[in-house]
Amino acid sequence: MNLRANLWLKTAYARAWVRTMSMYGEPLWVVVTVGFPLFSMMGMSLLYSSAGATARIGFAILGGIMLSFWGNVLWSMASQFNWDKQAGLFEIYITSPAPISAILVGMSLGGILGTAPSAVMVAVVGWLVFHPPINPAWPTAIATFVITLASLYALGMTLSSLYLVYGREAESFNEALQEPVQLLSGVYFPVYSPVIPLAVQAVASVIPLTIGMDALRRTLFLNNPADVNLVYTELLVLGIMAAILLVVSSKSLKALEERGRRVGSIAVRMR
Amino acid sequence: MSTTLRALAAAIWAGWYRDFGWINPLAGLFLRTIPPIASVLALVLIYGVAKPSASLDPNFGSQIAFLLVGGALYAHIAAYSWVATLAVAEGKWTYVFQSVYISPKSATPYLAGRTIASFITSATTSIIALTVGFFVAGALFPANQIPFNITFVTVPLFVLALVVNIFASMGLGFLLGAYSIYSTKFEWALPTYISGVLMIFSEALFPTSILPAPLRDFANILPFTNFIRASRQALLPPPLYGSISLYLSDLGLCFLGGIVFLAVGLGAFRLAENHGRRKGVLDRKAV
Repeated sequence: MNLRANLWLKTAYARAWVRTMSMYGEPLWVVVTVGFPLFSMMGMSLLYSSAGATARIGFAILGGIMLSFWGNVLWSMASQFNWDKQAGLFEIYITSPAPISAILVGMSLGGILGTAPSAVMVAVVGWLVFHPPINPAWPTAIATFVITLASLYALGMTLSSLYLVYGREAESFNEALQEPVQLLSGVYFPVYSPVIPLAVQAVASVIPLTIGMDALRRTLFLNNPADVNLVYTELLVLGIMAAILLVVSSKSLKALEERGRRVGSIAVRMR
Repeated sequence: MSTTLRALAAAIWAGWYRDFGWINPLAGLFLRTIPPIASVLALVLIYGVAKPSASLDPNFGSQIAFLLVGGALYAHIAAYSWVATLAVAEGKWTYVFQSVYISPKSATPYLAGRTIASFITSATTSIIALTVGFFVAGALFPANQIPFNITFVTVPLFVLALVVNIFASMGLGFLLGAYSIYSTKFEWALPTYISGVLMIFSEALFPTSILPAPLRDFANILPFTNFIRASRQALLPPPLYGSISLYLSDLGLCFLGGIVFLAVGLGAFRLAENHGRRKGVLDRKAV
């Protein structure tokens, strides 16, 4: 293995290790991160239940699980470089030989591992309390889950490069983004439904989470043999989205880093 | 003007400056309006998807109206009741909280002012969300009329309910603020818990009757539940709602519960503040 590849892998491993251990080394993190998805899952499950749609409670539980990861992408991926800049860590990344892409990938892997306990807790509580009916095609469902996470974290990497140019505004943008993306991507309900206008469905399809959630619902709950081709198409689209987002994040990070160096804002903290 | 009122007015201004000082105020308000609108629309869509035969259900419109009011108002309470926590936690890092103690007034009017500033903002955004939700739901489900009762009598009654609920929310804020004096990490996660508890226990999305017995009783005595019930009595028409006697009884319960919350919150905050001064934790940022 050449030196460059070795450095990339070492950096990714180191960043993933720090992110994972920061979560597992502090058990309170699970309590903190599980709150929103757990309560939302319970609230939405009870809403489905009160509407007499107990067969769809599984949608709410799946939504809670994926919401854990979406929260991690927004708050621990997209905003992370901005926070690292405030703490003076970003300057160290830049001055070290560590490739930024490796830091981002390591952060994503660590984020996924660190969010897993919250997601599992949501799934277990949801399963025990509501007993949702499921009909899974496990191999496809697992593949869908992995590809959805890959595209979701690729989106996080792209956002992290954009947020680098912002200061404290990043938090406000995150707060403004969280709910609309949850709405558009149909975390708790199928977006591709006759109730929702086609134009909205088209806009929502730009978000990887929308397509991932649809594919997950089809593979975990509906498992209709007629949907197989559709699910494979969705997986292909998700894969293409992940690849495009990875390239965009790498290019935009380089461009913004260069701009930051030129205008001298790369190490500016509070503004 | 007394020193306390001046301190309160300054804190309200500081709250707005913190929220909108970094951006054009209208753009800031727009950014803050997006989440409640999205939240309310998500509830409407979940209900719409859950009820595929909505156009045949004569009660569907009333159920959507129930959801619109509950969804907008629980988000409103969650948005401003945790501001005291934010003011303490963020204030420690920005040295604002420490500076309050060298001003002529204590932290109490500062936190109360920050809460009132946030109340005015979130009341505005929630009313916008409710209005947008009403029109979008009407467009999505044209076969069902969504019944609202908006008159020169019902709107002031709704505004009165919003104002009365300040006591309970401010009390909750002081209670959480007391915790934030000691907490040096993870206090930023509190709003998600407040929002989650309110979503389930304040009758925002479904009647408390579907909860099991001890949880149902807990939900029924919460002032927030009674606030949302009173708001529905004010804004939604008879025969299901629109009863002035039920409005008054719900509002009375909200007021009584609010006074209890405020007394407990203020007491806890005063205790935490005094203890914090002695232990030197008022400006502690990390364990």
